[in-house]
Amino acid sequence: MSSDPVLHSRRSLTLRFDIPISHTREFWDGLKEGKFLVTRCKKCGNISFPPQSDCPRCMSNEHEWVELKREGKLLTYTLVQVTPASFVDNDPYIVAIAEFQGGIKILAWLEGAKLDKIGPGIQVRLETRVSKEGNPYYVFTLPQSL
Amino acid sequence: MSRNVAVVGIGHSRFGRRTDVNIAELAFESIKQALEDAGIDRKDVGFVTVGSAGGWYEEALPAVVINEYSGFKSVGTMRVEAACASGSAAVKVARDMIASGETDIALAVGVEKMSEVDTLTSVELIGRAGSYMWEFENYGMTFPAYYALYAVAHMNRFGTTTEDLARVAVKAHKYGAMNPLAQFQRDITVEKVLTSQVVAWPLKLYDSCPLTDGSAAVVLASEEVARKLTDTPIWIRGIGYSSDSANLSKRDDYIGLRASVEAAQRAYSSSKVGPEKIDVATCHDCFTIAEIMAYEDLGFCRKGEGATLIREGQTEIGGKIPVNLDGGLKAKGHPIGATGVSMIVEITKQLRNEAGRRQASIKNGFGLAHNVGGTGHYAYVTILSRDAT
Repeated sequence: MSSDPVLHSRRSLTLRFDIPISHTREFWDGLKEGKFLVTRCKKCGNISFPPQSDCPRCMSNEHEWVELKREGKLLTYTLVQVTPASFVDNDPYIVAIAEFQGGIKILAWLEGAKLDKIGPGIQVRLETRVSKEGNPYYVFTLPQSL
Repeated sequence: MSRNVAVVGIGHSRFGRRTDVNIAELAFESIKQALEDAGIDRKDVGFVTVGSAGGWYEEALPAVVINEYSGFKSVGTMRVEAACASGSAAVKVARDMIASGETDIALAVGVEKMSEVDTLTSVELIGRAGSYMWEFENYGMTFPAYYALYAVAHMNRFGTTTEDLARVAVKAHKYGAMNPLAQFQRDITVEKVLTSQVVAWPLKLYDSCPLTDGSAAVVLASEEVARKLTDTPIWIRGIGYSSDSANLSKRDDYIGLRASVEAAQRAYSSSKVGPEKIDVATCHDCFTIAEIMAYEDLGFCRKGEGATLIREGQTEIGGKIPVNLDGGLKAKGHPIGATGVSMIVEITKQLRNEAGRRQASIKNGFGLAHNVGGTGHYAYVTILSRDAT
């Protein structure tokens, strides 16, 4: 550590955001009910994940919510050993990207897996969760055999 | 673009943990050198762009704080943000201001001060650089974790090994040891990399660039002014750019950075040169896997053959294409917003034959700077040359 003199600022700043989700409310409510919904554009049929009310392909705002099939294929993953400040209370976690029906790709934690037992190409399942604070989220799990 | 633009002055601070200076003092070190190198004063500068990602130091408006400290008055200015490519973006804006005829001389400054907050807060701030809502809020992604996703896919597809990754770090430190401005100036071994702490498997501490404080600056000028100021102008022949999705889940694949490929194609096309004519390059090696992918994405080898280049020593001095002879982000350090400008400084030094012990052999007169923002979220490729056309 350096011994240079520093002014330790008296002012600290905590940032906590209230992120609007009115356009994706169905998604978050769906998670709480155990459903995984994505948006499908009524005009061009494009399916979006993350869900979005405005179609990134044709820019139409007419969309419907459809359920995604839960079986996917693991594409890549990592074990996050050094976690960010706001995750210091978490044990190291595996983050993975998996591909689902229609080429939809999702990033999420892979629960209950060991690094030496998994590899790209294995099957994973998308599961819904609710945090102890009441926030819905989703994870990947492995088939029983792994 | 109507007018040719040259680099006529360069400045570069010592990179590292700079608790001896604040953001403005740090930027000033490079600004003063760059102006002196160009032989001009502040009143000659028509516009100042400041590349800085910010958030980890106390000032919210770095451009005006830096300009005030450096004695600029009434100058046109802006902060430019393209994550880790902010420096290249700042150079591009400055170049465009001159090429368009808006001004004759512009200064591009890159600066970052990352040591004023604790390490895990920095990890947090960089981890949020992507899609906060979908990939950070619930999943705590980190910068090494993003690149680890690419490393695993690249290793799985092409047989790239952790030893190959380690060789990139060893090369970085080899040249960093020859660069008095680098954060790390000591050699390391493959063994040392492989036994270092895992930060995001399979990436380890020594696969990763450090958190760095540092600044760099370049003075750019129109052809008419450049020829009056210096006998050795280094010309910006082309700048290519592209971007990719915020969410990593929306990428086409995880074996290369599409933004880099497209930025390189645009840079080669606008400069009318190909990768085979490049004498020396800086590649964005924030993690060792990033340098291997860069070799491929920039066309220095075919897709999947990046590891072969490092194994054969083809990216060292005397090899096919020497890369990161300044130590790269890995050993020189990676002060986010300063990195892109630092790369232009390094390529300018190389093309001027001023790099001393780590000088590449310049045959065709072309150098390339490849600067990635985030995890291929942004990419800028700048091609410089000894000749204007």
